[in-house]
Amino acid sequence: MRFDLPDAYWKKDVALFFSRRFALILKMLYPMAIIVPVAVSGMPAKYAAAVIGIVAVMAGTFGAGESLTIDLNDGILVRVALTPLSPYRIVFEVIAVNAILDLVQLLPALLIVYLLHPVSFLWMLAATLAVFATLVTANCIGVFIANFTSSPADVLLYATAILFPLIYLSGFFRNQHPTGILQTLRGFVPFAYTDDALKTVFGLSTARTPLEILLYPTIICAVLAFAVCLTAPRLLSQRL
Amino acid sequence: MRPTTVLRGGRYNSRAMSFSPENTPPVLEAKQISRLYKSSGRGISDVSLSVAPGEVFGLMGPNGSGKSTLLRVLSTAIAPDSGNFRVGGMDGLKDKQEVRARMGLMVDRPTHYDDLTGRANAYFFARAYGMDEAKAEGALAELFDYFDLAEYADDRVKTYSYGMGKKLALIEAMAHGPEVLLLDEPSLGLDYTSQLAYQHRIRDLAGSGVAVLLASNQVDEVESLCDKAAFLHRGKVVAEGTPEDLISRVEGVRRIVATLRNPVEYGPLAEVGGVQRVVPEGRDLIFHCEERAGIVADVVAGIVRSGGDIVNLSVERPNLEDVFVKLTGEALRDEV
Repeated sequence: MRFDLPDAYWKKDVALFFSRRFALILKMLYPMAIIVPVAVSGMPAKYAAAVIGIVAVMAGTFGAGESLTIDLNDGILVRVALTPLSPYRIVFEVIAVNAILDLVQLLPALLIVYLLHPVSFLWMLAATLAVFATLVTANCIGVFIANFTSSPADVLLYATAILFPLIYLSGFFRNQHPTGILQTLRGFVPFAYTDDALKTVFGLSTARTPLEILLYPTIICAVLAFAVCLTAPRLLSQRL
Repeated sequence: MRPTTVLRGGRYNSRAMSFSPENTPPVLEAKQISRLYKSSGRGISDVSLSVAPGEVFGLMGPNGSGKSTLLRVLSTAIAPDSGNFRVGGMDGLKDKQEVRARMGLMVDRPTHYDDLTGRANAYFFARAYGMDEAKAEGALAELFDYFDLAEYADDRVKTYSYGMGKKLALIEAMAHGPEVLLLDEPSLGLDYTSQLAYQHRIRDLAGSGVAVLLASNQVDEVESLCDKAAFLHRGKVVAEGTPEDLISRVEGVRRIVATLRNPVEYGPLAEVGGVQRVVPEGRDLIFHCEERAGIVADVVAGIVRSGGDIVNLSVERPNLEDVFVKLTGEALRDEV
């Protein structure tokens, strides 16, 4: 597989990811710089889980949204959309490759967390997958926002407006023991599963089983990604 | 760069080419295309044209006349308000993916992935158009060599000059062997040898049956390269025909081109009797004049009165720019 000569959109993104060396070093270091001190600090489990969850949410949302709007402004995305490539496939690849690259950035820090707070392999797997689901969701939100603005600055604004209620529902900080409608809604937010999985990793027991954490966010993410892919023709059209 | 067969001061020797566009059904056919921008009310209105295989069709018109809008519609980037078009028999509004696969496209402001190499950019597009690995690599190697970019193919695009970026965009447009080429201001920013190479390549492609639609305000380029040309003015086609036919519509007009050593206030020169327009072009002043006895002497006298120091003076036959001036009362480029 050659990344120096990309033959697919996702390979192009991988090639770009590794081509900016200074940015790559920063991208790899900043999750470590935030997460590792949290992991060694002995801070309460719910806050440690919240910090890691927020890092994942921010990395995913701003990454995809900003890079997409920059490419839209530049005109290169519209040019790519004028090839015979399916716009749905392009958007799917944008979401998938950005989420995977975000996970690559977070994975070293997560491994250190698992090293410092050992749990069963199943919980490690569940927590990692939940973080990935959060990244997919966050990237979907970023891509969705790019439908409505071509300004990277606006992405930050709109993302904040969308993320605040979701973060609230997820129980990172408030709404930790929801009831009624809030409890139901929490079950539809993938971030909530990340929060529960990470709380378990940090030693706080939750009502979730590893299977729930493996299954539910995956389904929610798949539906979300499918819905966002449907916006492809609008997203990739020329903004006039 | 390969030697070209351009005939100096005239058209390419199209008879040497193998493909004849005459009596061939059009591969690109647009019917009554209209697209107005809500914000400005400008755009194109009821534009129809057809380009046969092997034909090079030039679109001319001043900035804002609708050339780029028409190319955006035909490239499927934006949908028309009304009208339709077909490419190779495929409906441009319904069969977008198939139409895109048949076209090579160079937009007015080419952009690339700046952190990738030129070769990686071109390879990505070639594969996106469905070329297999070996064919893509072969075609790109030949084109990079042809356009004198082989030496820079593995440099990141962010190190490229504007002209190199344009050549890369041309390579990306041509590599996959499209049936139809849509080119927006393709030669703008190219150096002289690159322009000749590009023009030679276009004639070669036309010779092999590729239909080319290019938007350009380079009068010389359209006259020498295009089999047919159309003028767009305020979103409408105001004239269409072969360059020779169009130029033959201008009778009694002469162009006087004066190269000056120093800049002069040229506004008063438009008042000289018989001068219809004065257009500055670099160090040149171009006078569109009535053909009458003494007009050259009057123009020279006017320049001298304005303090101009004439380095060179030529009286030329009318060109497509004069046709446009006659048709619309406006110039293709800046004027007084």
